[in-house]
Amino acid sequence: MEFFLEISLNLVGLLVGIIIGIISYIGFKNTGSPTLFRLSIAFCAIGIGFGILATGFIIDDFIFETGNINAGISMLGIASQVIGYWFIAFSHTIKTFFPKSRYLRSIGALPLFLVSFGYVETILRAVSFILLVYGAIETLISYVQGRKKTTLFVAIGLGLLGFGEFIGWYSYVFPETILYVGSIIMKIGGLISVGIPVSKIPLRKISFDENL
Amino acid sequence: MVGHRTQIKIVGEILDTTMQEIDEQEGATVTHIIKNANISHGRLSRILSNLVSQGLLEQVNSKRSCRYKISTSGREFLIAYKTFRDFSDDFGLNI
Repeated sequence: MEFFLEISLNLVGLLVGIIIGIISYIGFKNTGSPTLFRLSIAFCAIGIGFGILATGFIIDDFIFETGNINAGISMLGIASQVIGYWFIAFSHTIKTFFPKSRYLRSIGALPLFLVSFGYVETILRAVSFILLVYGAIETLISYVQGRKKTTLFVAIGLGLLGFGEFIGWYSYVFPETILYVGSIIMKIGGLISVGIPVSKIPLRKISFDENL
Repeated sequence: MVGHRTQIKIVGEILDTTMQEIDEQEGATVTHIIKNANISHGRLSRILSNLVSQGLLEQVNSKRSCRYKISTSGREFLIAYKTFRDFSDDFGLNI
C-alpha cells in the first residue's frame, strides 16, 4: 500500500513538474524572460526528481522486492527536487531583495549547499522543507498584493508540499501510523494545487519569433 | 508600493500602448508612448529602434510627427507576453 502511494505521488509529481517546466520553457522562448527560464529549470528538476524516485520504487517493487528504495536513487531524486525548490526560492529572493541586480537576474548563484556528507538525505529533506516554506510565504505575500486566486493555489500547494515533508519526518518517529499516508496525500494535493495555473494556459500554439 | 519594472515588462507596456492606438490606423506618437509606458525619452528611443529592427513595431512617418504601429509579429508577441505574464504572476513572480 505504501509503495503504491509512493509510486502514485511520484508519478503525479513527474507529470505536474514536467508540464509546468515545459510551459515555462515555451514562455522563456517566446518572451526571453529570465524568470520563466528559472521556473522551467525549477519545475523540470522537480519533475525529474519525482521521476527518479518513481523509477526507484518501481524497480524495487518489480525486481528486487526488498521493500525499500535504493538509498542512492532516493538521494539522487531528493537532490534533484531540492535544486528545483531552490530555484523557486531564488526567484522570490531576486524579486524581493535584488530587483535591480543584473548579475543575479542573468546567471544566478549555484546551489552550493549540495555537499556530500553524512545523512545527506535527511539534510536534503530539511533544506527542501525550508525552501518550500519560504516559497509558500513569498507566494502568499504576492497573493495579498495581487489578490489572484491562482497565486493562492500555488501558495497553498507549496505549503502542502512543505507540510507533507514535515509530517513525513514524524512518520519516522511513529512508523506504521496514518502519518505516512497523510504526508503522501498532502504532497499529492500540493502538487495538484501547484499545477492549477497550467489550466489557464491556452492550448493553441503560441508562435515563436526567432529574432527574440 | 511600485516595484522595479523589468525590460520585458517595459517592452510589453510599449507594445500595449501602440496596440491601443490601432483604431486610429496612424500609430502612437512618442509623446503618447512616454506618457502611457511611463519611460524617459532617451530610454524609449533605444527600445523603439530595437523593436523596429526586430519587426515588432513599424515606424510610420507622417507630416506632423513620427508614429509607431504594432506589427503582426508584435501582436503575437504581445499575446504571448500577456499569457506568460499572468503565468508568472500565478507563481507570485514578475516576468
